[in-house]
Amino acid sequence: MSDQTDVMRSARFRAERETDWRKLEALTAKAERQGLNRMSFAEARDLASLYRRSTTALSIARQISLDRALLRYLEALTSRAYLSVYAPQERLGGLLRKFLTQGAPQAMRRSWVYILIGFLCMFLGAVAGYFLFFENASWFHVFMPPELAGGRGPDSSTAYLRGVIYDSDPEVSGLGAFATYLFSHNTRVAIFVFGLGAFLCVPAILLTFYNGLILGAFYALHVERGLGLDLAGWLSIHGVTELSAICIACGGGVQLGAAVLFPGQRTRKDALRDAGKDAVKLALVAAIMLIAAAILEGFGRQLIQDRAARLVIGWGIGGLWLAWFVLAGRSRS
Amino acid sequence: MRFWFKKRPKPERPGFDEVMPPEGVPLYFEIATFGVRFGAQLVDILITFIAAIALLIFFGSIGLSNPSTMTAIGSMLFFLIRIPYYVVSELLWNGQTLGKRMVKIKVIAADSGSLTAQSLVVRNLMKEAEIFLPGTLLLSLTVSSPMWSLISLVWICGVIAVPLFNRRSQRLGDMIAGTFVIHLPKPILLKDLALSPSVSHVGASKFTFLAHQLEHYGAFELQTLEDLLRADASVYNASTAMRRKNTIDAVVKQIRKKIDFADKVQRAENLEFLQSFYNAQRAFLEQRQLFGDKRANKRHAEEIETEKT
Repeated sequence: MSDQTDVMRSARFRAERETDWRKLEALTAKAERQGLNRMSFAEARDLASLYRRSTTALSIARQISLDRALLRYLEALTSRAYLSVYAPQERLGGLLRKFLTQGAPQAMRRSWVYILIGFLCMFLGAVAGYFLFFENASWFHVFMPPELAGGRGPDSSTAYLRGVIYDSDPEVSGLGAFATYLFSHNTRVAIFVFGLGAFLCVPAILLTFYNGLILGAFYALHVERGLGLDLAGWLSIHGVTELSAICIACGGGVQLGAAVLFPGQRTRKDALRDAGKDAVKLALVAAIMLIAAAILEGFGRQLIQDRAARLVIGWGIGGLWLAWFVLAGRSRS
Repeated sequence: MRFWFKKRPKPERPGFDEVMPPEGVPLYFEIATFGVRFGAQLVDILITFIAAIALLIFFGSIGLSNPSTMTAIGSMLFFLIRIPYYVVSELLWNGQTLGKRMVKIKVIAADSGSLTAQSLVVRNLMKEAEIFLPGTLLLSLTVSSPMWSLISLVWICGVIAVPLFNRRSQRLGDMIAGTFVIHLPKPILLKDLALSPSVSHVGASKFTFLAHQLEHYGAFELQTLEDLLRADASVYNASTAMRRKNTIDAVVKQIRKKIDFADKVQRAENLEFLQSFYNAQRAFLEQRQLFGDKRANKRHAEEIETEKT
């Protein structure tokens, strides 16, 4: 190889650029190992410019070279470099703050119609359950799954019902209670309601309505025994947060389902992806609220036995959620 | 999510998918197969599960849990560990969890550009609905609830069917997030065959080929020959070396017949002949390609004929 002139064009092409490629290979390996933001300025700059040069080389090589080993190498090298140059650069703390102060409340405001649908489903279910119970008390057994009722029903005595509401010494408390309540009926419902929304909305709406029915029948049972306000207190302390979380999850599910049903000019896949952006924020908000509800239920409900205090705390926290959704993340103009 | 089948153009390279970076040069990534992703998932579940058990034992030892609440706390810990684990690890390691690192696969954005926190959260939350919910349902099944068994069976079949029956083998979560999973490409630069020491220059070679002798083959045959020449001789044992010798004999014979190469080729010079033929053929084809005459394989002449008629 005394002189390069009679070597074929593609071999010369390779010989001229090989050192650059080797350098890019080393820089890419380094970026993958320790991340771009821990590399020095010169290295990061070289990585970016060498990457751009290698994309050019790749597109030339595809035209002029038939050397498969070279094409494969360049393709792999450029792909690896592409992945490290366009790696996500966000920091965790910043992401969390941005979500809480801007992303979540803005998403809630954007999809208020869907959330309204969620609340409406629950509310209509509750009204239906309430009146159905007064029409015939045996509806209670139809709606209420026995493990959720915990022995309470039209047949149990008023004293027993009151005892459950003001029970200062339950079987489980503290962390165990927190965990139990977090994975209680309502959390499972919230997950199902959100996940099933993508199947054309129907399961989400039905499930939320059904939970409204349970709630309505349960409330009617206590109203009949003159315990309506006491039950309101017992439910409010965590229920305002927890039931809202279910409605918000339902809103997210309905949003996904609506995207599948009415994609407009886009393909269904694109519509689903667009709707997913807000829907997932609703799901995260619902998750935060469910955790807060589990804390309230696990710790707050036994500590606070007063009816008025329970009502105030429950609805006060509900108001705080509302304030977050309505006020946070507005641009100052 | 498509409800009817549209006829798609056949992909140029099956098993690969194109991503167009902002630089405008398309890159082709090999799509990770179902089995590999399943393996990575198993490793990740094992890691998070062990972490949850360790924390549970720790809580038990300082008296925060008792046997009656053990399952509830355990499943809560598993849940609270695994949700951030997937999102944070894929965010910090650019689309790789520990399991994915082990089997060398990676999540990438389908629409070019970087992965966003948004899409990583979406694809991993959907994982809850897709994998863990039916999974726990499956574990908690009893004979007394055939209804639930049926539902979870249908669900699991659906979840497995989605990635098996789409081009990029995306899960539902991948579709919503706009991501897919690829095998990490491995750049290995082999030496240039054209600069091989056995034949230094085209001109100095013992064998010379005329232009009409190089008209017969296309890129496919050239690259097959390249693979044959690149095969590493050091890994052969006696019997496979013998077989390789015979293959090379047959190849040389076939090429000579096809291109009408009249001169005799000694058996000892077989490799040298192939090497010089490779060089000449590659130089010729690359030159034709520069003039806009791309020859994919040996049937290129027929294709031109059929186009004319």
